[in-house]
Amino acid sequence: MANKKDVLFGLYDDEEILVAAVKEAKNQKFDIMDVFTPFPVHGLDPALGLSESRLHVAGFVFGLLGALTAFGFMTWINVVDWPIIIGGKPYWSVPAFIPITFELTVLFSAVGMVIVFYTICGLAPTGNTKVLDNRITDDKFCLAFDVTKMDESEKSELEKFFGNTGASEINTKTL
Amino acid sequence: MQTFSFAGSERKFFGACMVIGVISLLAIYLTDDPLHSRFWGNILQNGSFFLGIAFISLFLYAAKIIAYSGWHVQFKRILESYSLFLGVGLIFMIVLGLGTYFGFHSLYEWNQPHLVENDPIIQGKSPFLNPGWYLFATIVFGGSWFFVARQLRALSLKEDSEGDISFKIHKKMKIWAAIMLPLGGFTSAAAIWLWLMSLDAHWYSTLYGWYTGASWLVAAVGFLILTIIYLKSRGFYPKVTEEHLHDLGKYLFAFSVFWAYLWFSQYMLIWYANIGEATIYFHHRHEHYPTLFYINLVINFALPFLILLTNDSKRRKGTLIFVSIAVIIGHWIDFFLMVKPGVHYTTNKILMTTGMEEAAAELTRFTMPGLLDFGVFIGFIGLFGYFVFNSLTKAALVPAKDPYLEESLHHHVA
Repeated sequence: MANKKDVLFGLYDDEEILVAAVKEAKNQKFDIMDVFTPFPVHGLDPALGLSESRLHVAGFVFGLLGALTAFGFMTWINVVDWPIIIGGKPYWSVPAFIPITFELTVLFSAVGMVIVFYTICGLAPTGNTKVLDNRITDDKFCLAFDVTKMDESEKSELEKFFGNTGASEINTKTL
Repeated sequence: MQTFSFAGSERKFFGACMVIGVISLLAIYLTDDPLHSRFWGNILQNGSFFLGIAFISLFLYAAKIIAYSGWHVQFKRILESYSLFLGVGLIFMIVLGLGTYFGFHSLYEWNQPHLVENDPIIQGKSPFLNPGWYLFATIVFGGSWFFVARQLRALSLKEDSEGDISFKIHKKMKIWAAIMLPLGGFTSAAAIWLWLMSLDAHWYSTLYGWYTGASWLVAAVGFLILTIIYLKSRGFYPKVTEEHLHDLGKYLFAFSVFWAYLWFSQYMLIWYANIGEATIYFHHRHEHYPTLFYINLVINFALPFLILLTNDSKRRKGTLIFVSIAVIIGHWIDFFLMVKPGVHYTTNKILMTTGMEEAAAELTRFTMPGLLDFGVFIGFIGLFGYFVFNSLTKAALVPAKDPYLEESLHHHVA
């Protein structure tokens, strides 16, 4: 990381308090850096104003790639590289290619989406992800603000906000 | 409590559809070959198609009750009305059953004593393929479905007025639904073998029942989507939102893929093994009906797959209406492809062996459904629509005391 980030974050005990806090933060026009929860929280995405995930586009592209790979490779093997008559069928037997094409479509789109997802989230093996607090993977719901460029009065306003919305802990961390 | 009113214009519309159907049937009967194979083939194709839609609606309804499904509860009356159509659809199949028993139609090769005489393969199947069992099975299987449909409907109406926190009535519905699933699963397969697969009496496929059932299922979901969107446009079902339509769109998508999966599984195994007695089924259809053979796959698989692939298209009414209409026509064509080649083959054979070679020479193959066939289809849609709308008027559109009603009113998927 080139630039260090100062993060001020509050931990909540319950997802419903968190969603209410997110809505309140949006009301007060605070710039939310991120929200971390141990499990998907219903209604959080619309509250944060996130647009729909585009991950499925990656799924479609990888699926198409898988289909073309399988179909093209089998065609090349059976027609060009090593043509063998099997069961009296023509070299280019489309129905026989369908199951493997289907399998590779599924494989490519599934694996491709996992790779894309992990890369975007910074969870790829090469990434060095810093976690704000280990308990956000267990039972805490975290709302984080980037306070690198904020002065003291703005920070205290955020702390007051955390207090008002029922955060059980308020911490800072430099990432 | 909102009750559906069957508007006069709707009555006229469905009535006109039925008139078109009757006229088409008469015209077919008058211009038909001596055995009236086109007439009876139409009755079989449409009768089994719409009876199957009623059956599979009941099956879907039972599966939803068993699976603790809640989101469909608002519009469960539509599924109930569809399933009650079993009573009407059965009449057509019973007429066909009487026809095999008394011999006033000749759709089935196994029902022609002079052809079976020299045919050891059909003789071997005669314990199953005989007119007595055909009639008996049609009445008993169809009758048992109709009985369960009426039980579920009666309990559902009773729940509206007498339902309480003990959910006694709902538990009773669960028992009927639990009976229906295995009962419907096994008997529908046997019924499909009798009604449709036995048209090609020498041929058989163990996947055929599933494949036909999937056809029914897609068509039923298509009709369900169209009915809901139409009723919404008339101001009913204000709380059935695009979230519900999204889930129904997923059904339409998933079952279309399921149908294609079964179609291909059946096709590929037969193609690969390349055994004459198995390939004959596809040989007929591919050789003489090539256009429909490929149209079938495009309409019923490629089109719903590509259109409904994205999230948004399942939430858009226009797209859903378009795809629903396409797959309903598509699966009707699928049924045409199941029925027509076998009927043509049998009719030709009977005419040739009973000294009516001239009539056999004049026999039209009808590689495409003619206008009159579509007329009969429209007639059956009119009958189905009239019946369904009429039975929708008989109860509150949204059930009052179903335990899962609240879940359905606040359904969110995205």
